[in-house]
Amino acid sequence: MSRSMITMSIPFRQDMPPVGGFEAVRYKRNLPLRGPSGLAILGGVTALCAYGFYRVGKGNIEKRELQREKIWSRIHLVPLLLAEGDRDAYRREQAALAREKEIMKEVKDWEVGKSVYNNPRYRSSEYIVVL
Amino acid sequence: MNSSFHPGESSSHPFHEPTPLPYSIPKVNEVGATSAPLKSSAFFIGAYCKEFNEDFMLCKAENREPAHCLKEGRRVTRCAIDLINKMRENCLQQFEAHWNCLELNNQQYGPCRKPERALNKCMFEKLGLVKTIPGTAPGQTPIHEVDNPLYGRMQK
Repeated sequence: MSRSMITMSIPFRQDMPPVGGFEAVRYKRNLPLRGPSGLAILGGVTALCAYGFYRVGKGNIEKRELQREKIWSRIHLVPLLLAEGDRDAYRREQAALAREKEIMKEVKDWEVGKSVYNNPRYRSSEYIVVL
Repeated sequence: MNSSFHPGESSSHPFHEPTPLPYSIPKVNEVGATSAPLKSSAFFIGAYCKEFNEDFMLCKAENREPAHCLKEGRRVTRCAIDLINKMRENCLQQFEAHWNCLELNNQQYGPCRKPERALNKCMFEKLGLVKTIPGTAPGQTPIHEVDNPLYGRMQK
């Protein structure tokens, strides 16, 4: 079989692009869009933080009011407790003065209960006698 | 009487002065209530005994000496005893519920709003006394009347 015989049996055919041309080469990035956008997330976080700070502010106001309520409840009780304490202090003072008078009765010119300060302002006694 | 010196801080027992109040001073009973009932009734004492309390505090501002304000102090104590007796006569159940709640909640008003509202309602209906916190901004709901406070008991 000679070479000319092959050329004769298979007709010549030029290799051509497919009908309609090649499809376009996909060289661009292909990243599908997923989830909310960055702007939405940022906005959402900002909104959440804003609401949180609003609640913190509300809570601070409420805490302040609770504190004020507590303080006023104590203020209302001050006269009552002070009166009771004063009666007790007065009783102890009188007893201390009587004791001092009894102890110092032989000392001439002793002034019972005289302050060591040259100032008429009241001072509660610095010490107590444990019997 | 043993008159030798003992330093107070080394004493094994608390100081007790046995001498009674001089007999020239009229006798008055002490209130004798513990902290929770006092805290529960504080605002009512403030409302009911306002004049006596203010009188006493003005007297104390004049002179801090205990002897100076004994008379005003007796009035304050009598008024407080009178109020607590009235509370016990009229609103015993609500009063006890409230101060027991205070005992169980570290003496905070916040977690005890429910019994407190019952007590306030009873006190207003029976004795006409209203709990007001002085200095609350006008138009603002006082904290004891807020329906849904942010702060409450940690444990529900």
